[in-house]
Amino acid sequence: MHDYPYDFYANRRPGHHHDHQHDHDPHAPIVERDEGPPSEYEVMSRAMQELLEAKGIITADEVRQRMEIFEEEFPYRGAKVVAHAWTDPHFRRRLLADGKAAVAEFGIGMEAERLIAVENTPEVHNVIVCTLCSCYPRSLLGMPPTWYKSTNYRARAVFEPRAVLREFGTELPESVTVRVHDSNADMRYIVMPMRPAGTEGWSEDRLAEILTRDTLVGVTVPRVRQDPGGSPE
Amino acid sequence: MASTHDERGAADIGGTPAGPVDTVDHGMKFWERQANALRSLLGRKGITRTDELRRAAEDLGERYAQLAYFERTTTALRINLVEKGLITESELIAKMAEVRARFDMPSEMESPIEQRGQR
Amino acid sequence: MPAAKQTPAATVSTYTPAPGHRYTVGDRVSVKRSYPPGHRRTPHYIKGKIGMIERVCGTFANPEELAYGFDGEPKRILYRVQFAQSTVWPDYRGAARDVIEMEIYEHWLEPA
Repeated sequence: MHDYPYDFYANRRPGHHHDHQHDHDPHAPIVERDEGPPSEYEVMSRAMQELLEAKGIITADEVRQRMEIFEEEFPYRGAKVVAHAWTDPHFRRRLLADGKAAVAEFGIGMEAERLIAVENTPEVHNVIVCTLCSCYPRSLLGMPPTWYKSTNYRARAVFEPRAVLREFGTELPESVTVRVHDSNADMRYIVMPMRPAGTEGWSEDRLAEILTRDTLVGVTVPRVRQDPGGSPE
Repeated sequence: MASTHDERGAADIGGTPAGPVDTVDHGMKFWERQANALRSLLGRKGITRTDELRRAAEDLGERYAQLAYFERTTTALRINLVEKGLITESELIAKMAEVRARFDMPSEMESPIEQRGQR
Repeated sequence: MPAAKQTPAATVSTYTPAPGHRYTVGDRVSVKRSYPPGHRRTPHYIKGKIGMIERVCGTFANPEELAYGFDGEPKRILYRVQFAQSTVWPDYRGAARDVIEMEIYEHWLEPA
């Protein structure tokens, strides 16, 4: 257990990433890599990519651009959409009625993904899983966290959601109905958490900051942190 | 692989016994992010389909549970690309040897089946 | 913050039309007890269970065919179906009203 759920993207905001050059030769191989010797699968993946580049099917630059979109755009969009829904009741209604249409109207293209937004209420708490693989609204949340793709989450979230939520530090009384969504076909899901008290008058940017990825999958709820001085953050 | 009333496919794990969830997001290594971008790009170009990648992973049978997430997805992509004749096994093996040499690796590879705390 | 834009035509939607859909919201349905080989998107744990149509999603190319390189035509109708957790799991230990919902293709459903 930890005081505040670890959020892989918590310290990253668009525009605050390291500087990198955009003047790549589209055919130059990507040379960045991790520490230590590569695994068999890293070698396999790189080899497949290089073969496809050599055959003119893809370019290194296209792969690089796709990586950038996944890191710098996708992860932040879901929070923006839900923060907007919190402040605009008409948008909120449209988001719940037709997720993809509402998100498009908001200026975000979800590519091939179809979105269903599900709202938490005082009576109902929603949580998302994909038992069969790792379906996830990547164009709104970026890549799924390791726990979402894990055997243990996929196996247990459907039959003991409350126990799983407890492992994330989320305790729900029996009076709250837990609604699990197994994202098993063409739809993708995002949870609209309840807006916590203490956020009155906040800007959408500030609201988006408490809409962490974990709250949008439904394993935690948004928290308003109090700073030591006593005023809300 | 047939599933019956008392058998299920390798990926069909909803409701099966499992341990505690490691709730920390361990993120992705650089190569995993690149592998994800590659798959995503190929999907957008209509060269591979998500359904075919899923099927190839499911057909791994026993290996499914032994491989970590990106090992599975990389293997599935390999299967699809070879099936479609976009690459051949022999040219892939040759290219892998070239990639390994570039990283100054010994010719005997460690086992691809690695112990992971969490799949 | 981007301002909400008006799109000229509502061509973007989560849903597609489902002409001739056999079930409507509120219908009781059961999931076929069928265990075919190959790629399916109906999980093992829900087979034989009785639920309720929560939403009609539309028509989509059949993933069972797409998985093998076919075009998935004719498209199939997809629903979201809601099940009481207490009826899905013999030892369910959550609250009596807890539910699980998922997407099931029409050809996997029978009236209940």
